[in-house]
Amino acid sequence: MNEYVIQIEGLHVRYGKYEALGGVDLNVPKGSIFGFIGRNGAGKTTTIKTLLGLLTPRAGSCRMLGLDVQKQPLEVRKRVGYMAEDQQMYGWMTVDEIIRWVGSFYPAWDSTFVSHLREVLQLDLKQRVKNLSKGQNSKLALLLALGHRPQLVILDDPTLGLDPIARKEFLRYVISLLQNEGVTVFFSSHLLYEIEPVADYIAILDKGRIIKADKTIDLRESVRKLIIEPNNTCDWRQIQGLLDVAVDDGTRHAAITVEDCTPEKKVNIQTMGKLIREVPLNLDEIFEAYVIGNRGERKPL
Amino acid sequence: MLFLRIEPSSAVPIYRQIMEQIRDQIISGQLTIGQQMPSVRQLAEELAVNQNTVLKVYGELCREGLLKMERGSGTFIADVSSARRADECEQIVARILGQAVEKARNMNIGIETMEELLRKEYQKRTGEPR
Repeated sequence: MNEYVIQIEGLHVRYGKYEALGGVDLNVPKGSIFGFIGRNGAGKTTTIKTLLGLLTPRAGSCRMLGLDVQKQPLEVRKRVGYMAEDQQMYGWMTVDEIIRWVGSFYPAWDSTFVSHLREVLQLDLKQRVKNLSKGQNSKLALLLALGHRPQLVILDDPTLGLDPIARKEFLRYVISLLQNEGVTVFFSSHLLYEIEPVADYIAILDKGRIIKADKTIDLRESVRKLIIEPNNTCDWRQIQGLLDVAVDDGTRHAAITVEDCTPEKKVNIQTMGKLIREVPLNLDEIFEAYVIGNRGERKPL
Repeated sequence: MLFLRIEPSSAVPIYRQIMEQIRDQIISGQLTIGQQMPSVRQLAEELAVNQNTVLKVYGELCREGLLKMERGSGTFIADVSSARRADECEQIVARILGQAVEKARNMNIGIETMEELLRKEYQKRTGEPR
C-alpha cells in the first residue's frame, strides 16, 4: 500500500549507561509531512542523528529511501536534506559564500533552484552569516538543506527560537516549497499547536519510545474525555485504551480520557457509570494524556 | 479574500474550523453563487496549513453540494437554493441556542427568563424594537 521513505526498526541507542532510545519503530510514508513530537530529552534529536548515520545504534536498523543508513551514509546524504537543531554556520562567510561552499559538496546542487529559493526566502547574498537574524538564519539553513533537491527533508526543531510570525512564515515555506514538490518532510518539534496545521501524521516520542503514531486527524478525533458519575463497582483498569483518569473530590465525578473512543467503547464505559458529558480535547491535552496520564495505577486524584 | 481564522489551541480540528467558516459564508450569502474559490495550493499557503487539509475541506463541501469542482478550471460556490440556505442558517443558530439552553439549565434559568434575555440581546445588537 504505502511506500515508506523512513523505516526504523527496534532502534536502541545508548550514551554510556543511559538508554536514550529503547526500541523505536517508525514508518514514514512517502510524500507526507510527518511531525515528530516529544518533550525535551525524549530522544528526538538522537533519533534524527541516528537516522543520518551520525550516531551508531546498539541494536536495530534505519533505512531511508530504501538505503541502509549505517552501510551507505554518503548515498543517504546525497538524497536527503537535513537541517540540524540550532544549526551553526560559519559566521564570517557571506550568504553567497556559504551557499557556494555547501553547494560544492553536492554533485546534484541545483543553482537555478537555489537562486529561486534565495528570492522566495528574501536572503541578501552580501550579508555576513553572523549578522543574520534568527529568522533569516533558519531560512538560510533551510535553503542549504534543499539546494541538492532532496526527495526527503529532515528538519530538527526548525522553528526553535523563532517568533510567532517567523514561525508561521517558515511553515508556509514548508508547504509551498516542499509539499508542492512532493518532497517528504520529517520534522521534530515540541510545539504541538505548530505541528497540527501542517502535519499529515504525528508520532509521539516519550522516554526513548514511540507511544503513539497516527494520522493527525485520527489522533485528534479519536481521543475523548468523558465525564461520568461512576458507580461503586467501576474499575478503571477495565477500560481499554485508558489514558488518564481524575476524580473530582466534591462531585465524585470522574474525567476519563480514552483513545480510540468508538461508540462501542462508550457503551462499555457507560456500564461503569452515568455519562454526563463528552469533551473534545486539543492536541496539547491529548499529548499530555499520552505522556503523563494516570492510567489507573495510581489512585485517581 | 475569505477572512478565515484558525484557532490553533481549539479542541475543534483545523479542517472543521476551516470547513465551518466557509460553510457559514456560503449559506449566509457572503460568498456568492458561481464565485471562484482560491486553489487548494493558494489557500493552504495563505493559511499555512497542509494542502491535504484544504483538499479535505473542499471535498466535503462538494459532497454537501455547497461547492462545485470543475475539472481544469477550479472550485466554485455551488448554486444553493435559498430554501436550503435559510434552513441551514436556522440549524446553525439552533445549535448555538442549544448550547445556551444547556448553560441556562445548569444555572437554573427557566424558559421565561431565557426568552426575555434573548429579546434583550437581539434588541441590543440590532437596535430593533422587540
